[in-house]
Amino acid sequence: MTTTLTQTETRPAPTANGSGAFNGHPPGNGDGGRRGPFSNPALIQRYKLGVWVGVGGIVMFFAALTSAMVVRSGLSNDWQPFDVPWILFLSTAVLLVSSFTLEGARRRMIAADWSGVRLWVNGTAALGLVFLACQLLGWQALSARGLFLASNPANSFYYVLTAGHGLHLLGGLLSLGYVWLRVRAPQRWATREAVIEAAALYWHFMDVLWIYILGLLVFWR
Amino acid sequence: MTEVELSPEVSEYTEVHRHPEPKGFIAKWIFSVDHKVIGIQYLLLALVAAFVGMGLSLLVRLRLVWPERSFGILGDLFPVGAPDGVMTPEFYLAMLTMHGTIMVFMVLTTAPQGGFGNYFLPIQIGAADMAFPRLNMLSFWTTFVSFSFLIAAFFVEGGAPMAGWTGYPPLSAVPEAAVQGIGQDLWVVSIAFFCIASLLAALNFIVTTLDLRAKGLTMMRLPLTVWTWFVTAILGLLAFGVLLAAGVLLLMDRNMGTSFFVPGGLVVSDKAIDHSGGSPILWQHLFWFFGHPEVYIAILPGMGVTSHLLATFARKQVYGYKAMVYAIAAIGILGFVVWGHHMFVSGMSPYSAFVFSVLTMCIGVPSAIKTFNWIGTLWGGQIRFTSPMLYSIGFVSLFVSGGLSGIFLGQPTIDLYFHDTYFVVAHFHLIMGVAAIFGMFAGVAFWFPKMFGRWMDEGLGKIHFWCTFIGVYAIFGPMHYLGMLPHPRRYAEFTGVDYLQTGSAGELHYFITIAAMFTITAQFLFLFNFVKSIFAGKPCTEANPWEATTLEWAIPSPPPHDNFGGKVPHIYRGSYDFSLPGAKRDFAMQCNKDEAVYGSAAGGD
Repeated sequence: MTTTLTQTETRPAPTANGSGAFNGHPPGNGDGGRRGPFSNPALIQRYKLGVWVGVGGIVMFFAALTSAMVVRSGLSNDWQPFDVPWILFLSTAVLLVSSFTLEGARRRMIAADWSGVRLWVNGTAALGLVFLACQLLGWQALSARGLFLASNPANSFYYVLTAGHGLHLLGGLLSLGYVWLRVRAPQRWATREAVIEAAALYWHFMDVLWIYILGLLVFWR
Repeated sequence: MTEVELSPEVSEYTEVHRHPEPKGFIAKWIFSVDHKVIGIQYLLLALVAAFVGMGLSLLVRLRLVWPERSFGILGDLFPVGAPDGVMTPEFYLAMLTMHGTIMVFMVLTTAPQGGFGNYFLPIQIGAADMAFPRLNMLSFWTTFVSFSFLIAAFFVEGGAPMAGWTGYPPLSAVPEAAVQGIGQDLWVVSIAFFCIASLLAALNFIVTTLDLRAKGLTMMRLPLTVWTWFVTAILGLLAFGVLLAAGVLLLMDRNMGTSFFVPGGLVVSDKAIDHSGGSPILWQHLFWFFGHPEVYIAILPGMGVTSHLLATFARKQVYGYKAMVYAIAAIGILGFVVWGHHMFVSGMSPYSAFVFSVLTMCIGVPSAIKTFNWIGTLWGGQIRFTSPMLYSIGFVSLFVSGGLSGIFLGQPTIDLYFHDTYFVVAHFHLIMGVAAIFGMFAGVAFWFPKMFGRWMDEGLGKIHFWCTFIGVYAIFGPMHYLGMLPHPRRYAEFTGVDYLQTGSAGELHYFITIAAMFTITAQFLFLFNFVKSIFAGKPCTEANPWEATTLEWAIPSPPPHDNFGGKVPHIYRGSYDFSLPGAKRDFAMQCNKDEAVYGSAAGGD
């Protein structure tokens, strides 16, 4: 009688899979990596999940800025629309290309060609720096028109949104720099696939985020 | 490395790799990546902050009943805010602001989640650590930086900010206003750092819960503590980014001449302020979009601990486990759509107010489910009245008392009258402040033997419980009445205003101040008990002294480095299998196979 009562409660315990990484975190793996294949799907999954969750937080940050912008633009009659500097479209193109170069790095990673990874990561980081330089030129173009941070709320949001995105992209650049440093000795880097996959995911998100911000700046005037 | 003996309670486990123990004092205790050390760091930070915050509340109460009395030591500490020891009204507002900020951010947000969550979430799910240990360390130290900035605000020129813990502009946004100098800037920067720390921590908690659970530990077998930490982390992830955005804009309004929140045509201290078109209401929307979920960030972990402890000490399964999980989730979701009820007096459209009001009432449903289930859990149980159990029952009492006044305040028409009165002070202190703190007391008393391998003094704990329980009702009960009079909140002084002297109002303020002194004194009992027991408490050598069911009780006290020593226990049942019919004992741990629970016959072999 007791057994029947509890059976529904307790079955099928040992096989039920409540775990994510547990299965893919087997003995001897990810421990500095002296043996066995490096690629650890569970670790990759965990790092990518971390980025996805982080994306949620970043989305809320920019959603708050967006709603502030929408509300502020409708509140009073001091909102002065302006044309975004043309260089933003160049920087957009640069950023889009950088996502493809980073995919190149990922492909070299799958092929375990670590010097290839390094090369493509270098290229991506360089494009990232070019993007940031373009953004600075955009600021310069705007201030040359006499439109500074405090000139008008429309300008304020332009500077805040581009700076916010730029800072997040700088985080992405730092992670690429970390990859670049560590991948010189790939055999001593147990989390390399996970970090590269996570950095790539974050970088692509920076693309999407930027296109959203550009759309907002162009269309919500 | 010494082998970690898993308790015989663990029926089966899988070997995984082990992490080497850190060497040296700094790696072990200061910049530690061990979730247990970080948990204790958070707890200690919250403990310090709680006593600072409590001291500030004492100053607030003293100023209210003795506005002209000189407190000599204050004159030495704050020559500007309290010349000759007499507190100025500005000083009162500054103390009020700092009390609220320190308590809400540094105590209510850090201890339940950063403290207990960090320490016990990984253990309860059978993990060796958080998903990202270094990120965890970064979260704590960013929180520490944030706390330092906040404390620094006391000592800069112009003194601590006085715009309230809600930092409403234009007062918070205009440096020209009196006592709104660098202190207010430090406040905003501190909050920004706190947001970043909390976002990183939330990320870590979510990934850990989703990704590191032991084999067999399905979501519906998680302890309710883990559920509340998990949902709290989701709330933090979605809420703190919004506050961060608002904080950045506020800082720019203050220092860079932008006009996000500062309206045009503003005159402060006979000076025209050079801003135009900003909206203070915009800040209120952004702030409360964070601020309401923040209430649940503070109280949800307390709810989890309460559910956990009521079951453990009533020796019964949690009544309606699934309903509890759904109620936690519902509270989390609804928490994001009710922020407008903090703004009924902001001139919002009555239609919006109606919507926010209805949604606010909806939160009553999951809250009532939880309360009902707590009582259902206690009903007919073989209750063990230990001190952690008393705190948990106290939590239920305070949650009901504080929650009921929320139903009044959720009505726009009633809120118009009550909003700026002591009724609101009574409401949010009971439910958010004191109830959440009782959850922390319960957690400390319950987990102390596990964390430190020693017992806290049970007798002292009970005395502390009764003093605090009676004390807080004595403080906040009469405030409901004062609110109805209505005594306005945030006022530095009531004496000399005729209509505020009606009836016994003046005496009630005295009574509240005396009750506050009594309650604050009682907290030193707790502090004494806590500190003394760490070093000289009765040793607790058992792994499972409370006869509890979850995983932290299957490892030695205090837990070894790596928790399970490179082994991951398998999980066979839900978290609250107490008093199973036919079982050998009145509880079955999550890692017990049926054979261990019922003897070999019932196990099917």
